[in-house]
Amino acid sequence: MGEFINTFIRAAFVENLVLAYFLGMCSYLAVSKTVKTAFGLGLAVIFVLFVTMPINWLINEYLLSENGVFGVDLVFLRLILFIAVIASMVQLVEMVVEKFSPALYNSLGIFLPLITVNCAILGGSLFMVAREYNFTESVAFGLGGGFGWFLAIIAIAAIREKIKYSNVPPALRGLGMAFILTGLMGIAFMSLMGIDPAAFSGS
Amino acid sequence: MALLDFLKKIEPDKKKSPFLHTLFDGFFTFAFSPNATTKGGVHIRDGMDLKRTMVHVVLALQLCYVFGTYNIGHQHFVALGMHTGFVEAIHLKLAYGLIQLLPIFVVTHLVGLGIEFWYAAKKGHAIEEGFLVSGALIPLIMPPDIPIWILALSVAFAVWIGKEAFGGTGMNILNIALLARVFVFFAYPTTISGDHVWVSTFMDEGVVKAAAGSVAEYGWWHTGFFNGLFEWMGLDTFRAGATVVDGYTGATPLGLAAKGSWADVTAVYSPSQMWWGAIPGSIGEMCKPAIIFGAVFLIATGIASWRIMLGAVIGCATMGLILNGWGATEFMLIPWYYQFIMGSFMFAVVFMATDPVTAASTTRGKWIYGFLIGFVGLIIRVLNPAYPEGWMLAILFMNVFAPLIDHYVLEGNMTRRAKRLAAIKSTAS
Repeated sequence: MGEFINTFIRAAFVENLVLAYFLGMCSYLAVSKTVKTAFGLGLAVIFVLFVTMPINWLINEYLLSENGVFGVDLVFLRLILFIAVIASMVQLVEMVVEKFSPALYNSLGIFLPLITVNCAILGGSLFMVAREYNFTESVAFGLGGGFGWFLAIIAIAAIREKIKYSNVPPALRGLGMAFILTGLMGIAFMSLMGIDPAAFSGS
Repeated sequence: MALLDFLKKIEPDKKKSPFLHTLFDGFFTFAFSPNATTKGGVHIRDGMDLKRTMVHVVLALQLCYVFGTYNIGHQHFVALGMHTGFVEAIHLKLAYGLIQLLPIFVVTHLVGLGIEFWYAAKKGHAIEEGFLVSGALIPLIMPPDIPIWILALSVAFAVWIGKEAFGGTGMNILNIALLARVFVFFAYPTTISGDHVWVSTFMDEGVVKAAAGSVAEYGWWHTGFFNGLFEWMGLDTFRAGATVVDGYTGATPLGLAAKGSWADVTAVYSPSQMWWGAIPGSIGEMCKPAIIFGAVFLIATGIASWRIMLGAVIGCATMGLILNGWGATEFMLIPWYYQFIMGSFMFAVVFMATDPVTAASTTRGKWIYGFLIGFVGLIIRVLNPAYPEGWMLAILFMNVFAPLIDHYVLEGNMTRRAKRLAAIKSTAS
């Protein structure tokens, strides 16, 4: 349980996928105009990360590694398989959203299927492999990373809703402002960088 | 009315020289209210305009300025082992403090107001007074020995990127003064952290530090101007060649706490010293009574939100109690009530967190915002080994979430009212 919480806090706050690694920027910048759609996309990303991360962990551990069922080193298939898992999960999310919330489906538009190539998600899986997480940690990382992404996108969406009424110089309106905002938010999120939850858990 | 006549006479023509006119207008409205009539739209006029609001905050900061000036000099002489009494050689301390603080103050205003004036002239509107408060706050949160060019750069960054890019006063998302400080903090970390930067000016092989054996450096103002003046008045003068006494470190209470326990802190600084503020630290944040005076003044005039302040105190106390209960490190075991007087908690909460532009603006949002500042700030202070102090970063962190808090408070309110309306309708029909 301790390591679950540690990894979750690390992924969500300390090493936020958007504001510390600047991953998943395209949908982050494009869908953050209103809190409502940002909220929807954020939830979709949480779900996809949370589901794909453990599946990818199992694939990596039991299919692709030398100690897996095939007994051969198949890591060159890692990218393709990870993407395939992610794509099928996104497909699932898309169908669910279309069925139960057509309004959200329409407002997300192309960016819902584009979660597939959202680098935060593939990046998350690759981080998981590179950092040699175990199964619990990979679940926590998926959940925490998704939550961090969700937090970042609804925060910037709220700010962008607010600065809609500001007298921003014409050249900076829209995306320009979003980039500056992301940078400033990155500074603010540096406040938690460096905290090592594991150092205090007594384990 | 002689002044008014004079000012009317020198008023530059608005069409011919818009820049000069903007400049003139900015200073004119300090003394008089303009007689320009508003054209079109609906306007509400109040005597408590933006400029008055800003000036009130600046007034609230004055005691901090006085004490800060004194404390720069006091720390300098404490390091030398001279004049360690509180009122001893007060003229030297004030003179020393003035020499350190004045350039910081002037450069902050030159750069900040310069950018502001330039933008105002360019956009063709009156000068916005927003920089008055930021300009008064920035010198107080810098170490006394900050290189002037770094200061200028950080102020320019904060005003340009943090404010003008967002459209000027009242539209920024992050607190300008804190943004200037955080810029220094991340871009030039050695000038604003560590034990040697909080006590001014000692050189050791060309590097500013206050370690034992370093020599006090005096410039022209000390020896050429003030020494002559003080000699003439028959007072003590600056003595060249004095060195820092053995065993002096210049560490702040938080620096000590991060390395040791509460006992290590109290071995050097007693709680009453932390309360009165005659210890090393940022220029204005040390003297707690001065800050409380400012807080009372701001609350009485209705400018700062007491909800945010109280929320932050509750948040900090909550986290302090949690940490006391957890107690995994020595730092966590420091009694929670001492966390209030160590470092810059009070200054940050009173003057930074309550900035009405960057804080949450709904009533319930203010409580949440304040509470989370206290909560997150103590987490950063105690749990984050990378940073000695947490309030600057905690407030910036919550600045980012303030619009989100407001959004959900409003949304919650709307749902509640919609439900109430539906209930009324169903009973009426």
